[in-house]
Amino acid sequence: MIQFSRFELDNGLKILVHRDESTPMAAVNVLYNVGSRDESPERTGFAHLFEHLMFGGSANVPDFDEPIQLAGGENNAFTNNDITNFYDVLPAENLETAFWLESDRMLSLNFDEQVLDVQRKVVVEEFKESCLNQPYGDAWHHLSDMAYKVHPYRWPTIGKVPKHVEDATMDDVKDFYFKYYRPNNAILVVAGSVDPDEVYALAQKWFGEIPKGEVPLRRLPSEPPQKRLEKRISESSNIPTDALYLAFHIPDRLHPDYYAADLLSDILCNGPSSRLYRRLLKQEHLFAAIDCYVTGSIDPGLLIIEGRPSEGISLEKAEAAIWRVLEELKAEGVSERELQKIKNKAESNLTFSELNVLNKAINLAFYELLGNAALINEENFHYQRVNADDIQRLARTVLTEDNCSQLYYRCKEGTVEEV
Amino acid sequence: MPDRSHPPLIHNIGQLILPLPELIHLDNGIPVYVTNMGTQDVIRLEIVYRAGRPFEQKQLASRATAAMLKEGTRQHDAAAIAETIDFYGASLSQPFNLDTGNLVLYSLSRHFESVLPLFTEMLDSPVFPEDELRAFVKRNKKSLKTDLAKTDVVAYRTVTEKVFGEDHPYGYNSTLETYEELGREDLVAHFERCYGIDNCTVFLSGRITDSVIRALNAQIGQLERTGRPESCSMAVHAPARGYNYIPHPDSVQTAIRIGRRVFSRHHPDYPAFFVLNTILGGYFGSRLMTNIREDKGYTYNIYSSLDVMRNDGAFYIGTEVGNEFVEDTLHQIRLELKSLIEHPVEEEELTMVRNYLMGNFLSMLDGPFNVGEVVRTMVGDDLPFSFFSTLVESVNTVEAETLQRLAVEYLQPEEQWEVIVGTRQGS
Repeated sequence: MIQFSRFELDNGLKILVHRDESTPMAAVNVLYNVGSRDESPERTGFAHLFEHLMFGGSANVPDFDEPIQLAGGENNAFTNNDITNFYDVLPAENLETAFWLESDRMLSLNFDEQVLDVQRKVVVEEFKESCLNQPYGDAWHHLSDMAYKVHPYRWPTIGKVPKHVEDATMDDVKDFYFKYYRPNNAILVVAGSVDPDEVYALAQKWFGEIPKGEVPLRRLPSEPPQKRLEKRISESSNIPTDALYLAFHIPDRLHPDYYAADLLSDILCNGPSSRLYRRLLKQEHLFAAIDCYVTGSIDPGLLIIEGRPSEGISLEKAEAAIWRVLEELKAEGVSERELQKIKNKAESNLTFSELNVLNKAINLAFYELLGNAALINEENFHYQRVNADDIQRLARTVLTEDNCSQLYYRCKEGTVEEV
Repeated sequence: MPDRSHPPLIHNIGQLILPLPELIHLDNGIPVYVTNMGTQDVIRLEIVYRAGRPFEQKQLASRATAAMLKEGTRQHDAAAIAETIDFYGASLSQPFNLDTGNLVLYSLSRHFESVLPLFTEMLDSPVFPEDELRAFVKRNKKSLKTDLAKTDVVAYRTVTEKVFGEDHPYGYNSTLETYEELGREDLVAHFERCYGIDNCTVFLSGRITDSVIRALNAQIGQLERTGRPESCSMAVHAPARGYNYIPHPDSVQTAIRIGRRVFSRHHPDYPAFFVLNTILGGYFGSRLMTNIREDKGYTYNIYSSLDVMRNDGAFYIGTEVGNEFVEDTLHQIRLELKSLIEHPVEEEELTMVRNYLMGNFLSMLDGPFNVGEVVRTMVGDDLPFSFFSTLVESVNTVEAETLQRLAVEYLQPEEQWEVIVGTRQGS
């Protein structure tokens, strides 16, 4: 049970405090309700580039990182489809340093051409390092493009092409900042060895004067149901070995069936006794690696199965074996013991995730964004409530060919050197 | 309205004291270090055997033996083991360590005693089934192939091999051939030689009750096999410096690793070198990061790292940069090394690094599992627990001239190995 108190400032900033006296640290998490789904299709990757710019200094803070390090802390951030999330972890007695820093960049970011210029390059190098210079690094580009036709999940957070990042201008930066980086579009969570009253006073002091803004109403087109199998083959001599990906649409994060979909992915490939791992990798030796997971995005997301077939096993044969396991699950469902097993795993995962104060802060902010931070304490209840019929029903509706995007990476014959 | 031009006062971190573990001995003499703390009902159990590469008679035997412990015992096959561990929501992991063979169990407290017997079985009677080994070899060959397509992996493999030598326990790399040559008998032999009750230590952390200790004694405390081999020679014969370019056609970035052999935690220079490494490339505000990422934008990440093993250590700088930036990146790295050699670190920067590291030490003491890891590192390296306070003290008091002396001794640009993997050779 994670206890917390909640305040809201006049400017609309929501503040949650979770007191945990067992740690000497404090985590300060600022979630901005903006992600790559809010980008224009011509300027993809912008929310993430902007995350980088938030470290480029503000009116009273020439360098964001220096004071945090002086205070004995660390900080970082991440961007995904839905949110941009910044966090600082520091000794609890230096909590106020984080308030000073986070409030200053919310109040008055420096719009520095030099910073923009360098960070465009850094992000382009990040694009290369994570997508272009890695085997299968562009898988997400293909999958999102196949699975989504109208919803902005159709491009990845890093951006569709490096060009979009290279073309970002200072006008875009200012516009984005004043639209989205406003207190009424943010959630501040403080967790750790802190006193809620003191946090409230600090929040009032440092964030109270930041003016609220007109945050644009989010009007995203909903993705119509997929009607038929999408296929794509990426042939290249630059990949070391064949690989395949299957992506299936699943319900949104707040849909009651989300939990069954998540457990469905666990049944398929979470842990060494899961079906795909045990059957196809360990027993039949058809795969050298196999995995399955859900994206967990706020709008309807995807369940992804990815694998690399063993030497000498064709992609077609490997894929057919996956479908055999899926069809069996659809026809026969799960046993009580198997269901209990994944529920135990889910409970265990939740408990272990509460060991870390930063994790708790990030999760509280995310659940608050979903509607109510109290949801964090209901997660286990929702998982335990899923029954065998739910799993089978979800398997039957989700794991179908019409609902699937299929991506093959095929090594070009004879061009890969034997090592 | 707050005065934003005046940052809040920064408080120095008070005392940093490692909570000392309780040391108990099981019936069979196995030492157990118990870190009993925390608020969640969870347990981490780790058993560590001196069974790593220094004790191998055949390359890769140590890793394969440790990995195959969970692939079948006399009583249960791999599938049954996996199912039971999963059923109780527990998990097994095997941290990468060149010196040891480890098996870790994470479990909710209330299921701990249900999974412990199986955990014990894996240490007592693993059978290393031939078919599981062949599958392990096949999977690892495949993932090695994938890894070898990545410039960063190739660069890392190469620099460690150059620094220690290609036959040294800390230097050799897995190859398709060495995997292929692994036989069941190699694993059995390694297990029988190394996995003895006189050659291991147990680390328990989390909420540890008397009942947990009793259960541990009833299981692991009853193991009987002995085995404690001598380490092979750890002498290093590799050249201390050199240059190696490995072409990697079509790659859009080039991987760079620059480094050298240093020392283990026992060396008197370790604490100060730990600080020097942090200044150079050990945190976001480091000189390499500030210059090459934040000023030049050549890379997403650049770091320097101090990898210490029980008997030795390696220092290296690593980055992946756009091909057009290779020459200047190399130039800038050399400038940063020279700057540490030629100029003492200013007090302002040193204060920042001290404070940053203090916060880091504080996080190392945050929660039972983190404390447990510090305990394991100290015990594993035969260091007294007071080493932690020695390190803290050194960070707080190290002087700029000491750092400069170490830079002169260890960071000379022409005394490093340079490894470049990609399409640009650099110069």
